[in-house]
Amino acid sequence: MALSRKTPIERIEYAIIVSTLLLLVVVTVQPILNLLAVSLSEPAKVPGMSGLTIIPRGLSFEVWSVLLQHPNVQRGIFNSIFITAVSTVIGVVGTALMAWGLSRPGLPGRKALFILVLVTIVFEPGIIPDYFVNKRLGLLDSYWSVILFKAVNAWYLIILIRFFEEIPKELLEAAELDGANPFQVFWHLVLPLAKPALATISLFYLVFHWNEFFRAMIYLNDQGKWPLQVVLRQFVIDGDKVAIVGANSASNNTGASQIDLRSLKAGMILLTIVPILAIYPLILKFFTKGTMSGALKG
Amino acid sequence: MTNRDEAVMAPKFGNVPKSSARRKQGRVAVAAEGWRRWWPYYVMMAPGILFFLIFHYLPIWEARIAFEQVRIVPPNIWVGIKHFQVLFSSPVFWQVLANTLIISAMKMVFFLPVPIIVALLLNEVRGGSLRKFIQSAIYLPHFLSWVVIAGIFIAALSPTDGAVNNLMGMAGIAPRSFMTDTGAIRWVLVFTEIWRSAGWDSLLYLAAIIAIDQQLYDAAEIDGANRWQKIRHVTLPGIVPTIATLFILNAGMFLNADLNQVINLSNDVVRSKIDIVDTYVYRIGLQTGEYSLATAAGLFKAVLGTMMIVIAHFVSKRLTGKGVW
Repeated sequence: MALSRKTPIERIEYAIIVSTLLLLVVVTVQPILNLLAVSLSEPAKVPGMSGLTIIPRGLSFEVWSVLLQHPNVQRGIFNSIFITAVSTVIGVVGTALMAWGLSRPGLPGRKALFILVLVTIVFEPGIIPDYFVNKRLGLLDSYWSVILFKAVNAWYLIILIRFFEEIPKELLEAAELDGANPFQVFWHLVLPLAKPALATISLFYLVFHWNEFFRAMIYLNDQGKWPLQVVLRQFVIDGDKVAIVGANSASNNTGASQIDLRSLKAGMILLTIVPILAIYPLILKFFTKGTMSGALKG
Repeated sequence: MTNRDEAVMAPKFGNVPKSSARRKQGRVAVAAEGWRRWWPYYVMMAPGILFFLIFHYLPIWEARIAFEQVRIVPPNIWVGIKHFQVLFSSPVFWQVLANTLIISAMKMVFFLPVPIIVALLLNEVRGGSLRKFIQSAIYLPHFLSWVVIAGIFIAALSPTDGAVNNLMGMAGIAPRSFMTDTGAIRWVLVFTEIWRSAGWDSLLYLAAIIAIDQQLYDAAEIDGANRWQKIRHVTLPGIVPTIATLFILNAGMFLNADLNQVINLSNDVVRSKIDIVDTYVYRIGLQTGEYSLATAAGLFKAVLGTMMIVIAHFVSKRLTGKGVW
């Protein structure tokens, strides 16, 4: 419909619609921008700062520099990156290999394997049995408890199976006629064709592992192995000031303890979001497409 | 509501072919031939299958401690349903179960319509870049962890310098400490859930709207329908199957009031109002060390939850053609 044909009432309607959505945008983004403003303000000026503002009072990177120099935070960044990277690789490789087998129609025992996977989706016995399995396997307090535990996600597996099933049969048969074995077909034909799907589930795993805190919290007693999410939780949710400020500096009232706690918390929250923001364009591209096409196919 | 979007994305399994005429041949010979052809696939699937067996099926075996008395020196003693009797006679457990159902019901009533409305509004936005901008902003919270979201809301709801109380102050309303207010905390759960996922969930409905045949809109236009009439008579009927599917799937997940959300937004003051089955299991199990009782509570929830999901799956399949898997 050409714009010129719009009646005044239609224009008012449209304005209401757009303003409603923009209000939604503000409600979504403002709390994050407020934290950014607090974390970038001069620490002395933070007390009394309104929760509504998105403009820093003065400009200072002191909060960020204190945080980034803090050993617990540095340790947390390292742990998060390490756990996320290794889990994602293991998850994607395990999922892709299993999905490839399960996508072949003639595979003996295929139905049984599907049921094996399905049962895990509908029935989860809970966190205590999980904990005891970890304990029995000697994984408690090891990075591997977080990395290996439930490394292959049933939902992502199903998404990938569906994708592999749509690879034209003729292509696979032609490769098999040329004498390629299943490993070669997988490596040279299936993986290159499945790049978008693999990118999608890689992002699923990446986001999932970066955001994971519960398992790390219950399986890792050793604070030196804590990912950023658990450090953040201890500091912001449990209000454990010593965690970040440090016992020494808290009692002497020096270093980090001179900075308003509110700005340290704000900085810590944002620090944990930074990687998500960094890959957000990719997330938008692949998650959106995956969800749209999945829903359409349904 | 953790796996809601994946649940909808996840397509159904393909048709599993029935065994064919080969049945007449010797079974052993068939198996041998099959194995020669298929073993490489099993080698490739081995890590995945092992992960499932070890990390999903071993816990089911470990869950037997719900029926045992844990002893420091093994073996444990079999005590049958004793822990379940203790559980069912504990008022705390019933309170926790009630909380779970109340929170799920509140989310269902107040969350579910929001993404539908957002999708309908978004569909009306004509400018491509304006629409992209709005989408990029409102999808973001879905990708943040509950630790982060709780941190954001503890700040935003602070009685002294939180945005909400600052706004209320401007309107002359006395400040309120929402996070420690037993009357408000369940609404905090509902609202944070909306803040986190209403935007992202609207994508599912938007996909359904886009799939509606454009000719229907053209026909409505020729009949002189205005914007609201088109929404009422074309768009809404077009997404009813999606709404029904998501409603039923959510009903199936009714006992999952979201551990990660509650555990991060809870505190000693409001615990009694939002303690759900999952946080109860965590607290009495891993914090107090009553492993058997906690496992019994977890199993109770798991069995009931499985029944609900399976029922939801078949109801949804029957009514809308889409299921959980």
